[in-house]
Amino acid sequence: MSGPLSGTGRLGDDLYLVAHHEITGKPHLPPRALGLGLAAGLLGELMLARAIHLHGGLVMTGDRIQPDDHLTSTVLEVIHAEREPLAIRDWLLFLARTADRDIGRRLADAGYLASASGRWLSRSPRWVPVDPDSAFAPLVRVKAALSTPDPAAAQHVLLGRLAAACGLAHQLSLYLPSDAGRRLDQAASYLNPGLRELTAATQAAVDSALLAHRA
Amino acid sequence: MSKQTTAARPGTVSRALAKDRLGVPAVLSFVMASVAPLTVAAGVITTAYATTGLTAIPAAFLVIMVILAIFCSGYIAMTRHITNSGAFYAFISRGLGRPAGVAAALVALLAYTFLQVGLYGAFGPNAASLAAAHLHLHTPWWAWALGACALVAILGLFRVDITGRVLGVLLCAEMIVLLTETALGLAHPAGGHLSFATLSPSALGSAGFSTFGVLAVVAVLGFIGFEQAPVLAEEAKNARRTVPLATYLALGVIAVLYAGAAWAMAAHSGTSHIVAAAAKQGPGLLFTLGGNGILAQSAQWLFLTSLFAAALSFHNCVWRYVYSLGREHVLPAAFGRTGGNNIPKAASAAQSATGFAAITWYALTGQPPMTGLFFGLGTTGGYGVLLLLTVTAVAIAAFFARDPRGENIWRRLIAPAVAAVLLGGIVVLATLHYATLLGVSAGSTAAWALPASFGAAALLGLGWALILKIRRPMLYHTIGLGAHAITAQITPAPSEGTR
Repeated sequence: MSGPLSGTGRLGDDLYLVAHHEITGKPHLPPRALGLGLAAGLLGELMLARAIHLHGGLVMTGDRIQPDDHLTSTVLEVIHAEREPLAIRDWLLFLARTADRDIGRRLADAGYLASASGRWLSRSPRWVPVDPDSAFAPLVRVKAALSTPDPAAAQHVLLGRLAAACGLAHQLSLYLPSDAGRRLDQAASYLNPGLRELTAATQAAVDSALLAHRA
Repeated sequence: MSKQTTAARPGTVSRALAKDRLGVPAVLSFVMASVAPLTVAAGVITTAYATTGLTAIPAAFLVIMVILAIFCSGYIAMTRHITNSGAFYAFISRGLGRPAGVAAALVALLAYTFLQVGLYGAFGPNAASLAAAHLHLHTPWWAWALGACALVAILGLFRVDITGRVLGVLLCAEMIVLLTETALGLAHPAGGHLSFATLSPSALGSAGFSTFGVLAVVAVLGFIGFEQAPVLAEEAKNARRTVPLATYLALGVIAVLYAGAAWAMAAHSGTSHIVAAAAKQGPGLLFTLGGNGILAQSAQWLFLTSLFAAALSFHNCVWRYVYSLGREHVLPAAFGRTGGNNIPKAASAAQSATGFAAITWYALTGQPPMTGLFFGLGTTGGYGVLLLLTVTAVAIAAFFARDPRGENIWRRLIAPAVAAVLLGGIVVLATLHYATLLGVSAGSTAAWALPASFGAAALLGLGWALILKIRRPMLYHTIGLGAHAITAQITPAPSEGTR
């Protein structure tokens, strides 16, 4: 897809668009699950850039790089500032508190979302997609990645895996082939162990929140 | 990133997460919300007086509180060392092996299902009674019960936070009414003299020591919910302090509430008349402790909402259990999937279906809803939980016997061993006198079939565990881990001696 709204190329942005309705901008998930999924998206971006990696359930810093956007740059600074490596679950919970708002603002700055009149009594802006087709495009990319298995499509496979992990399997099932779940599992072999661990930790965190009545 | 988190300093994450963690009041509220005070006080206690003919119910609550407090010493200690600490089967898996864990999982599912569907047996007739009295609407009990079941099914498919708020509001109102009725009942004792007879432990043996098992099952039924505090262990501010404190506070509050209400009813009616009064008035025995005015009418309506809230609460509890077991493939994987809005619709729908089936069965067979569906299935659910508590106590001792993990001898051995012996004794007594518990003849089918259903569930669980061990060993090794099963499949933990 080409054009001014052909996607930012960022995992977190694509996951945000999958997690919200392509026309109304309404989230498909309760706040906690949504936050955890988007937090995983941000961490996934840093892992794909090799700025961080997972080892034994802990988030470790990797190559000292400067991400090209303010949000992931700030997340990386906070990670570097911690004296000891922290568990992936702690990072998911920490970033989940603001991930929805932060990624929404990033997409708005990139021109993919526009602010709609806020809900009554709500202090946070409500974002709606500027172009429904662009908002739907991430799912098209996941479908393409499943159709033609390619190690280069690892980011799109990761997008599909994270979407399923945070509770968007229903949304995926509406647009992807009926065997998409099995294909996603097979395509997971293109992901390195750290990325597989990220998706598992995300699913565990979402499940824990659900079972603890906090989802 | 938002301003509140842009400061990149050491400790930013821990400080931020600490703000979101739950303190003792929040955990205690969570436990109390699943206890449903008026359901037990007006429904269980009055029916227990009438059905069993035993009067030492107040004393039973106090004795069971002590036994459960002993149990909790080891129980809470073990929550610090395992994941998925909100489920008995996780403890039993880690202590006694995965086959025992799967058996316990199915027993737990059956017990909590009995508890949930039984509530419709009280809701139906009481709703029908109120509708007839105030709306002049004469409909059978099962119509109201099915309506409540349908509403629970619908609400169960909504987002969890909505149902949590409903429970919180109702809980506050129930406790106020219950405490007021109790105080008024004690202030107006029969004959003008307040008797402490039913509070005395010696009263437990007044009808024969063997009946203590029956009284204990009734009392355990009242405490169900206390075991839920560890569900929030990962969310607690300080798990070492918050969870134990909330658990022991809950035990104390529950014991005072129910022992007090049961005592007030016995004192107000007179110890020698309480059984007959309960048989005649049912839940009205509690409602009218303070007269027949607005308090009594409010209590009647709150009893109805309490039953509904309890049904909703246990519905949530059961589908979470089903979902967790589906995630681990102990139950079919379809139960471990979510639909739109991340709601486990299959698990929720399955639980609702059992409610519909139970109500329909009792309606078609013409069995009394209050004593049959409500008290019969409810106390059987309590019996199932008693079984689980007993086996869990043994599992706790076995777990720490392999590795003390820094826990002192009271928590890792003496408390669980004492609890196992006491609870085991109660199980034996209750089993031998099950007919007394149900208020049926000794040869009645229900008197053996209901307790035997747990044996069947356990055998089914044992068999399924062995099948999983052979056919799906990777899944077998994640049994008992709950939400963390998926991470264990990715990064298997070193063996900790669990079979």
